[in-house]
Amino acid sequence: MEITTAKNDTALNVGIIGRLDTTTAPQLERELNDKLEDITELVLDCSELEYISSAGLRVFLGLHKLMMEKGSLLVLHPNDTVMEIFQVTGFDGILNIEK
Amino acid sequence: MPEKSVREMSARERRGHSLAARVWRSLIMSSVILAVAAILVGLASHGYALLNQHLAVAYNYAAVTAELLENEIDVVALSENVTEIYRSLPDEEHAAQDTLRYREHFFGASNESTSDYYRALSILRRLMNDADIEYIYLGMFDPETDSLVYMVDPDQSDSSEMGKWEPVDPEEVHAFLDWSGEGYPSYIGWTRQYGWLGTCGAPVANEDGETVAFLFADVSIRSIATQLLAYAAQFSIVMLVLIIVAANLITRHFQDTLVAPINQIAEAAESYTEDRERGSDAVDHFAKLDIHTGDEVENLALIMSDMEHGLAEYEANLERVNAERGRIGAELNLASTLQSRMIPNVFPPFPDRTEFDIYAAMKPAREVGGDFYDFFFIDDDHLALVIADVSGKGVPSALFMMMTKILINDHAMLGGTPAQILTDVNRAVCANNPVDMFVTVWLGILEVSTGRLTAANAGHEHPIVQDGHGRFETLRDRHGFVLGGDVDTVYHDYELTLEPGGSIFVHTDGITEAKDGSGELFGSKRLLASLNGHQDGASDEIIGGVLADVEQFVGDSPQFDDITMLCLHYRGPERSKSEGEHMAVMTIDATVENIEAVTEFVNEHLEKLCCPPKAQMQIDIAIDELFSNISLYAYAPDTGPATVCVDVEENPLSVILTFIDNGKPFDPLSTDDPDVTLPAEKREIGGLGVFLVKKTMDSIDYEYKDGQNILRIKKAI
Repeated sequence: MEITTAKNDTALNVGIIGRLDTTTAPQLERELNDKLEDITELVLDCSELEYISSAGLRVFLGLHKLMMEKGSLLVLHPNDTVMEIFQVTGFDGILNIEK
Repeated sequence: MPEKSVREMSARERRGHSLAARVWRSLIMSSVILAVAAILVGLASHGYALLNQHLAVAYNYAAVTAELLENEIDVVALSENVTEIYRSLPDEEHAAQDTLRYREHFFGASNESTSDYYRALSILRRLMNDADIEYIYLGMFDPETDSLVYMVDPDQSDSSEMGKWEPVDPEEVHAFLDWSGEGYPSYIGWTRQYGWLGTCGAPVANEDGETVAFLFADVSIRSIATQLLAYAAQFSIVMLVLIIVAANLITRHFQDTLVAPINQIAEAAESYTEDRERGSDAVDHFAKLDIHTGDEVENLALIMSDMEHGLAEYEANLERVNAERGRIGAELNLASTLQSRMIPNVFPPFPDRTEFDIYAAMKPAREVGGDFYDFFFIDDDHLALVIADVSGKGVPSALFMMMTKILINDHAMLGGTPAQILTDVNRAVCANNPVDMFVTVWLGILEVSTGRLTAANAGHEHPIVQDGHGRFETLRDRHGFVLGGDVDTVYHDYELTLEPGGSIFVHTDGITEAKDGSGELFGSKRLLASLNGHQDGASDEIIGGVLADVEQFVGDSPQFDDITMLCLHYRGPERSKSEGEHMAVMTIDATVENIEAVTEFVNEHLEKLCCPPKAQMQIDIAIDELFSNISLYAYAPDTGPATVCVDVEENPLSVILTFIDNGKPFDPLSTDDPDVTLPAEKREIGGLGVFLVKKTMDSIDYEYKDGQNILRIKKAI
């Protein structure tokens, strides 16, 4: 998994490339933890996210709870597999997703 | 042991233990004994001298008086007259001496000396009053009647006038009449009338030199005794005072030079003990004592000081040694753990293999041992079995064992027959063996699909093989030389085939050489009997049975050698699957880091089946969820192995994945599905993974069997 970040004032655009699973989820959590202090607008670009497992969902849920307090979280362009997982787990009702 | 220590005693009890008081008492006692003895001896000698002195004075007085009398009267005539008259009288007359008739014999006209008698009487009276003499009188002994005949006696208290007599001790008569002429005649005797008297007499001789009378002078012993007693009393008082003064002086000196220093040493010892209890490490309790008595007490203080320093050094040394021992113990523990981790010790090690079961046990005699066993798959169909015994015991043989184990493992993985492997390993071991250690090895490679076993033996115990009917027999295989002995040793392979239901059992000499209390060896016959006693069991039951038999035989005797054994029970070639496809199997440590390896392993097979990408993604997610669960929870907080099997089913074409672990029994399907309609705040982490798998796979089922969690998922592709 690779992570790209682009910061614009209080907005942060994070690109997640590859697989978000048990092994890689902690890496995403670690990288974003340092950068979210003054961020009010977080965008997770999932267009190149191959798949997500429950460990990844855990990170997404954590980020969502955090950003609900201080701004917004937008999940961009998940692929069919990822979207299906969001739907199955009810995350599509929680997250703000843009197809 | 005394009832209580000095430190627990009261001050009063301690005084009772005073050396000074004891010395004082002994001094007084011995001095008094000496003084009493001295006084007694002094009294005796002084009394004797005093008596002699008095007697000598009395004698002189008597002699002077006799001379005086002779000047005044005719003493000789008087004496001879009286004696003559006395002797002329018969005994009856003598007996009647108190009668007037008797008196008239002497005072009658026949006695010309009557007038002399009265003159002598008056002279003697005068003299007696003047002198310090008790009595003074004139008389003569009659040896025939042993009597004293009085001639002139101034004592008026009795009627001892002229002619009267009294019986006397014959000894007294003898002492006076047979006097040699030296000194003076004397006699000490007791009379009822006068008590103890010392008598001496100056003889009066006639012209022929014959003694006709004695002038006696009596000395009172009682008065001498009184003087002596007064003297003794004064002497005793003076002595007693002197003794007490001397005893006090000596005791004080003793107190200063012996008791006080001893008390100082005792106090130092006491404070030493107290400081030790408080944990202080001062080492100058005895060194700072100021004792300069120049004798054994000073020596004692010096010795105590030396001892204190010696003890401190000894303790410091002991602490160092203990710390070192603890460190070595911890390292040995670590080495022991490392060693036990080096050999496969999770059973069953290949839970997915139905062709055989395998079990091994190792019981080192010390913390780390030189025996080892090993088994590992060289490829999917070839299982290597190793048992070895390194010469010696303890850490060196454990290190040697590690080296050998790794070498055998490495060479086996490169391919080749057991003989080739052992030949290569021997060369390597010889090249790295500066200490002349060696190891005996039996190496076998089992073709799992057929039961064909190729083996080679480097000086190790013969294997014991069980045929298909259950009978164990020792296989007299060909021995090569031990590993590490000779670099040029060449080993030879031999082959046998394990029948389904048969086993092969290999061991080290720790079993056959186990001794009971009387020193008897367990021996190969007992081992064979033990194996045949458990011939129907699986490998773990066989090994457990043998171990129990050995332990029962040995009893409480100490274990001298490592006990190691390995048993493989061959069940027979794998029955073909219903669809004719063999499972692909992977056994790997269940860790999060290995998820990727498992995923790759499965994907390899999925690609062969041209699996669509979406299904592959879903299967990958399922692997991630299920394998991470095993990694994180099955063996927590330890880790253990997990096996993943890939199967394929037709109509519809499906992939079946089976996850097997030996961890804690846990049914992931028993938990409720999470409520996916809840808002984010109420969502809980957990349970999502299995839920996801349930949703994306076609079926999922779980069973717990033979100590294994078996989770099977199926997905049509």
